[in-house]
Amino acid sequence: MGHPIRVLVAKPGLDGHDRGALVIAQGLRDQGMEVIYTGLRQTPAQIVSTALQEDVACIGLSSLSGAHMQLFPEVARLLKEQGAEDILLVGGGVIPESDIPDLIDAGITGIFTPGTRIEDVARFIREHVRESDAKLSAVDGILPGILGIDHIGIAVADVSSALLFYTRGLGLVTSHEEIVADQGVRTVFLPVGETHIELLEPTSDESPIARFLAKHGPGLHHIAYRVASVEAALEHARELGYRLIDEKPRLGGRGKLIAFLHPKSSGGVLTELCQHTDESEEGGSS
Amino acid sequence: MSFEEKLNDWQRRTAAATDKRPERKSEFLNHSDIPIQRLYTSQDSVQSEEDYLQRLGFPGEYPYTRGIQPTMYRTRYWTMRQYAGFGSAEETNTRFRYLLEQGQTGLSTAFDLPTQIGYDADHPMSVGEVGKVGVSISSIVDMDTLLNQIPLDRVSTSMTINAPASVLLAMYLVVAERQGVPWQKVSGTIQNDILKEYVARGTYIFPPKPSMRLITDIFDFCAREVPNWNTISISGYHIREAGSTAVQEVAFTLANAIAYVEAATKAGLQIDNFAPRLSFFFNAHNDFFEEIAKFRAARRMWAKIMKERFGAKNPRSLQLRFHTQTAGSTLTAQQPDNNVVRVTVQAMAAVLGGTQSLHTNSRDEALALPTEASARLALRTQQILAHESGLTDTIDPLGGSYYVEALTDALEAKAWQYIEYIDGLGGAVEAITEGYMQQEIHRAAYDTQQAIERGQQVVVGVNQFTTAREPEPELLRVDPQLGRKQTESLAKLRSERPVEPHRRALAKLKETAEGTGNLMPVVIDAVRAYATIGEICDVLRDVFGEYRPSVF
Repeated sequence: MGHPIRVLVAKPGLDGHDRGALVIAQGLRDQGMEVIYTGLRQTPAQIVSTALQEDVACIGLSSLSGAHMQLFPEVARLLKEQGAEDILLVGGGVIPESDIPDLIDAGITGIFTPGTRIEDVARFIREHVRESDAKLSAVDGILPGILGIDHIGIAVADVSSALLFYTRGLGLVTSHEEIVADQGVRTVFLPVGETHIELLEPTSDESPIARFLAKHGPGLHHIAYRVASVEAALEHARELGYRLIDEKPRLGGRGKLIAFLHPKSSGGVLTELCQHTDESEEGGSS
Repeated sequence: MSFEEKLNDWQRRTAAATDKRPERKSEFLNHSDIPIQRLYTSQDSVQSEEDYLQRLGFPGEYPYTRGIQPTMYRTRYWTMRQYAGFGSAEETNTRFRYLLEQGQTGLSTAFDLPTQIGYDADHPMSVGEVGKVGVSISSIVDMDTLLNQIPLDRVSTSMTINAPASVLLAMYLVVAERQGVPWQKVSGTIQNDILKEYVARGTYIFPPKPSMRLITDIFDFCAREVPNWNTISISGYHIREAGSTAVQEVAFTLANAIAYVEAATKAGLQIDNFAPRLSFFFNAHNDFFEEIAKFRAARRMWAKIMKERFGAKNPRSLQLRFHTQTAGSTLTAQQPDNNVVRVTVQAMAAVLGGTQSLHTNSRDEALALPTEASARLALRTQQILAHESGLTDTIDPLGGSYYVEALTDALEAKAWQYIEYIDGLGGAVEAITEGYMQQEIHRAAYDTQQAIERGQQVVVGVNQFTTAREPEPELLRVDPQLGRKQTESLAKLRSERPVEPHRRALAKLKETAEGTGNLMPVVIDAVRAYATIGEICDVLRDVFGEYRPSVF
């Protein structure tokens, strides 16, 4: 995650109370985000235009004057009109609980009422921006949108005997097992915290795993990074001149989109990019 | 053993005991960073009769530490003045008359944001804001409705209006004229404090220089024509709401006051002609004793400033008269009934601090504008303090409290440091243009937020003693159609009013604004000719330009 999330903190309408907006702006900065503050008296059109110019991932609206029911949905409408509804829209201020469902329906994803901790606001923004942000821009050779390590692949000659170490020895539990026929591989997944160990056993001599075993013997086979968008990540890797195994994302196990980078580009470690889609069993919300 | 030896002995023994059983905190600091001692004694307070006379004096006498009137609440309680206003002029008029029937003794008008920023209700910037935080007033027609059946010779009215204060005052005076009440008899207050708008509240229109001219024109006009009008209410309230400490509230408010006095004397006004009509507006926050000390320190400092710095002679010029409102920013959306208790404690501090008038907030104001029932409970809180608590039977009941006197001195000393620093920057206008006050306030606000998030500062019901979410109380809703209705009635006004007088009045206004004459009489003429607030302010925007803040 090399890129700070860019946030626009905006005061729509005529309300001059900006203590909350200023405190939130500084708080989000302290949480590592890049924050732009509009100042007072912005029309919804000005806010949307600033958001587009500044290429922000999130807009935070603040109003204490009771005008939120008119002004917040108008910002959402203009974002949609501009095709920019992927910008996360949140709001706060003096907002009665009973207004919140209508605001959410109108496209304001989060409403933070008085007493909300800045940390909680930051977490909300991070989670929602990560999910929607499949197009972080390319800077300084960093692959965009790396969300974590999805799994670590280990090549084994025989899953059942290799499994003993992981289950009896480490106390892990098998969560999933499948045979990927076209790759000639049988895989077993064991969750470890947020990530998984994937044991790979060849089912035929032509399998890439069989070739790997013949050459290196059992051991670490690949590391899979979870990304927001395999397509964006591949595109970026191509721009950086990395060697690719897969030119395009393809379907992996359990509805995941995957692609491999060549070990030549990654210090000898086979690198997989992997994206959870709506169809993937684990969902994409963690 | 002497007193001092006995005291030292006690300190030693207590310190030893706290080694075994430590106190709640290793250091007790209040929000103004004033260290609070374990115990205060006569050594920390007034030292002698001579010292008493110099630092406290008697009520109604210099330096007014104990109060500006010789009998205070033994003669008359403070004015119970609840800030009210929402929706249309009719709705607010109904609420006003209700509050007067319930025993309220003065009116306080909240205007909506378009009115406060000089836009008519049909201006594009007014979308969504009409009638929301106060009443929508675009022309004399609305003002007539707002004050319908309210006797302006008997009820004093405070108006929270700043950048377009001249316009609203003009409207008020024209309504008085129509009611047959001479201007000599009307009384009330306009907030008219533009400096704190730049610092903390945000409803500015024009740049500082022409804004200061509008203000001193009002000082001058009222001194001659409306002698019982409080021409300004120099406000620390919003500075505190923006997150300042108590020390900053006093210091920045008095620094702004100094800037107004300097502007007026520079414009050729005699200090003792306008200074008696200057008034102040402070916040009553949570720290009970610090707030009481703050009010007392502010009174003593203002008396010194007026006497020593400006050479005022009239005792009324030296007296800091102030309105107080309990701190809106301390109200919580969680467990709203807890707010009643907060407001009570804050209101007690205001009364023990010697306020001249008081607004108590309603319990539901962290959620919306108050309902009628909540507004009544807030007023009842004041009435209970006045009539049942006994707080009002003697003057300055906490005068001579070792702690309160020590705290009064400490606050004063810290506030002087700020004022000297601001003087060094070239005065309040400079300090604000540079963003100095804004940054100091923001830093304090952020510190508070962090202290709350870390749990070092407890907010009952928010970061401790929380409960599962309660059902939302019934809230006041402003008619969302109001903007449209106001637009229609403005269209009617514009088509029906006589064209020529309206044109002439605005032309005269422009000419005067470009010159140096007093703007009040021409604004009054424009109001009489049915010019709207937006039209009047547009003429002034053309001549004066608009204020554009830097974003700090």
